[in-house]
This record gives sequence, structure tokens and C-alpha cells, in this order.
Amino acid sequence: MTTRSLGQFYPVSSPVHALDPRAKIIATAIFVVGLFLIDSTAGLLFVAAALVALVAVSRIPAGTFLRLLRPVLYIVALTVLFQIFFSREGVILFEWGFLEVHSGGLRMGLFLALRILLLVSSAGLLTATTAPVALADGIEDLLSPLKRVRFPAHEVAMMMTIALRFIPTLGEEAEKIQRAQAARGADFSEGGPLRRARSFLPVLIPLTVGAFRRADELADAMESRGYRGGEGRTRYRELRYRMSDAIALALTLLVLLVGIVL
Amino acid sequence: MKLELRDVGHVYARGTPFQVEALRGVSLVVEPGEVLAIVGGTGSGKSTLAQHMNLLLVPTSGEVLVDAVDATTLTKSELRRRVGLVFQFPESALFAPTVEEDVAFAPRQLGLDEEEVTERVLESLRALGAEELAARSPFALSGGEKRRVAIAGVLAMGPEVLVLDEPTAGLDPAAREDLLALILGLREAGVSVVLVSHDLDEVAEVADRVCALHEGRVSAVGTAAEVFYADPTRAPATVRVASLLRGASPGIGHPVRFRETLDALRAQQGT
Repeated sequence: MTTRSLGQFYPVSSPVHALDPRAKIIATAIFVVGLFLIDSTAGLLFVAAALVALVAVSRIPAGTFLRLLRPVLYIVALTVLFQIFFSREGVILFEWGFLEVHSGGLRMGLFLALRILLLVSSAGLLTATTAPVALADGIEDLLSPLKRVRFPAHEVAMMMTIALRFIPTLGEEAEKIQRAQAARGADFSEGGPLRRARSFLPVLIPLTVGAFRRADELADAMESRGYRGGEGRTRYRELRYRMSDAIALALTLLVLLVGIVL
Repeated sequence: MKLELRDVGHVYARGTPFQVEALRGVSLVVEPGEVLAIVGGTGSGKSTLAQHMNLLLVPTSGEVLVDAVDATTLTKSELRRRVGLVFQFPESALFAPTVEEDVAFAPRQLGLDEEEVTERVLESLRALGAEELAARSPFALSGGEKRRVAIAGVLAMGPEVLVLDEPTAGLDPAAREDLLALILGLREAGVSVVLVSHDLDEVAEVADRVCALHEGRVSAVGTAAEVFYADPTRAPATVRVASLLRGASPGIGHPVRFRETLDALRAQQGT
């Protein structure tokens, strides 16, 4: 069984899930750019409140969503520490040997932490509310104007879809091989980092061999079903903008503008 | 050695929406030197059960006993040496540049000296009729050869109990015969074999006892004849014939061997 982590689709039905993937991708892109234009804590807090509301609307349980953020906590913690210890702005709040904590540093650290969390949350919300296939369709469609300059939009989207599709498959395979080697006495938890890395070779080698074999088989299976690239290919799910997509985009812009003004 | 599972239950992904109860209170004894077959449909819990025998999966309830000692008190490496487990499609875990080195992996992990390792590698390759493959790359072998090498890789640990999960799946008839002969040979040598399979004919051929699983529970356990006669419609062809002959030849059915059944049939027809 796989554990849910950053970027995994959470299949429930909600107004956010129902939005057109293109609208969600554009909104996320605008949101990410907007975050860097906001320079007041009040503005950031306002945007954070809006994002919390959006998560509530998406029907993703708060606990699950917070777990999505866990992988970036180290980066956030590191950023805060750097800011706290290396910034010399504002009054000294605390002193210990050569370490000084300044009010400006603390404020800046928390500000950056919030910004990173919002950045990751928005991307996480996109992938949690959009099925991988829909996401790839959306990206293909958004990139399709570039087809005129010979950019392989369809191929890029297909590669993304396949890569995403095979993450859990490879994960399962890795676990199986790991258990098979454990049954032969392999121990993955003993020794220093170098020995531990070496002990993973008996897992990595067959995993790689298997991945190549799988790729060959998949290519054969696709060709035998008549796949020959994106030329003239139709879709099972047609993308169509609706009123709700326009409203969602407008709301995103509005929230960010308020955030920037604040 | 005697391996005992006492009231073993296993729940995958407990407390999530993906929770699956794979085993529900399975009690089972693998007697020293016997061939015990575990049969059941797909999803009946056979593979999950197999992985409890060397605690690759830890039971969520119940316990596993090795010679009446709680298996969790043994070190992992000792337990895995004494109970060898060959996974389904074990060839997918081959990794070394040569067959010899691949088979040597397990004995080396046990910390044996090189002389002993070489000896064990040769011995187990010979047991599987694969000694001529020793210098080849495992990735360049045929499917049947890979399977034999992978099984040799576990056999090289010198296990007292060998658990084989679907070892004959995808093998041609000749390779299957060889493998069944190996199982009987190991039994001769005093190794207990647990054979997980859904091929009832091969089970009837080699198993001293059969344990049938259904939805994670033991639905029947006994000799091949006892288990299969209980529901003759599902029995393999040989067993069906044997069950019809039982009145005339009460001796057959432990295990139900094709040859014996055929002889009994001939005797009855007087040919």
C-alpha cells in the first residue's frame, strides 16, 4: 500500500475538482507569481486565509492536506533558522554567545516560511484536486499553441501521463524486490550511509532492468493498439471552459490584488 | 523444525480507506519434513500467509512459533536463514553480474567464509540442474532458467523450511516436472516444503497435506484426498478418478499420485 504524499490525487467530488484543469493550472501559475508580488504580512495572511477556505471547499480533509505539506517542512524550518540567525535587522530579542536573534530576522523568517508553505500548498492543491490524466490533458492544451513552432506538446503530455502512471507501479515493484532480497538475508537498516546505499544495489538493479522491460512492453502494447503520436488524435474527455472556471480565475486575481494592496 | 502459526491475522493499511483484512485467525502447523500445500483462489490470502512464515510480514494479531519459540524473539537473519522464502516470480529480483554471484548473495549475507559459500552455491545450483549456468549473466537466461537460479539463491541459505510461492507459474511442463522432483528430493533430505499453488494437480501429486484458504480463513486442512474429496467437483482430474476408485483401492490418496491412481484403475479393469 502506498502512503499519500506530496502531489497525489485525492479522489472526491467538489467544486474545485470539477473545474477545468486548464483553469486550475493558470490560476495556480497566477497565484505563484502573485505570491512574490505580495510584500506585506497582512497581505500574505489574507491570501493564506483564502487558500484555507479553498481547501475547505475542495473537501480534502485538513489532516490529509497537512500531510501533503510534510515533505517541505525541513526546507521551511531551515529557511526560518537561517533568517533568524543571520539577519541583523531590528532590535535584539535574544542573545547566546555569538548568536543573536533580531526581531527583523524573526519576522522575515516567518514571512518566508508562510510564503513557501503557500507556494507548495497551491501546487499541492492543484495536483490533489486534478486527476493526473486531466492534468496532462490541460498541459497539452495549454502548450498546443507552441506546436506551431514544432514543440512536441502531445508527446510531452503523454510522457508526463506515463511517468505519473508508473510511479505507484514502480513503488510496488521496489517493495516486492526489497522483500525478496530481505528473504535472502539483505539488511537495509544496518551500517553507515555508504553501506546502506550499497545494500540498495540489489534492489535498484532489478528495478531498473524491470523498468526498461516494462517500457518496451508498453511501447509494443500502445503500437499494437494503433498509437502513432498526437497527429489527428481525438480525446475521450473534451476540455470545455465553463462559467465556474471564469469565476474561479476572477476570484484568484481578486484575492491576489487585495493581497498586494494590503 | 516445526513451524506453527497460531491464530494469525493480518490487516493491510489499517485505519485507512484502503484497509483490507487479508488473514483472519489462521492456525496452521508445518510438521518437520512434510510437504504442505496451500491452495486457494486469487485474493484468498495465500501469498500474505507465505510471507508470515519468516515474518517478512508481521501478524497484526496472533503469533508465529518456531519449534514452540515465539519467532519474534529470534534475530531476523536467523529466522530468514531457517525459513527460506521464494517469492512469486522470484526471477525479478536477480541482480548480480553472474549467476554464481547472485546465488552467493544469501550465503555471503550469512557471513559464511568464501569456501563454504562456493560449496553452497555449487550444491544448490546442482540441486536445480543449473550448474552449467554458473558463469552466465542472469539477465541473459530463459524464463525457466532464471526461475531455477532464483530458487537456488534461496536454497543456498540451507533453510530447514522452504516456502515456495507459485513456483511453477509460467513454467513449461518439463521445468514443472523438474521442480516437483526437487520438492520431493528436499523432503527426502528432511527439509519441510510449503508449496503455495493454485494448480491442484501438482498439489495432489506432491503434497502430504493440503491447507485450503478461502477469504483469509482456513476452509479445510488434511491430506490431499481428504481436502479434495470433501468437494469432488472442484478436485483435479486425478483426484476425481481416485475418489471413484477409493472403494476398490483404499490405499491411494496420500498423496494422490497420478501413477498410483493409474495402476489402481488398471488393476480394477484387469488390463
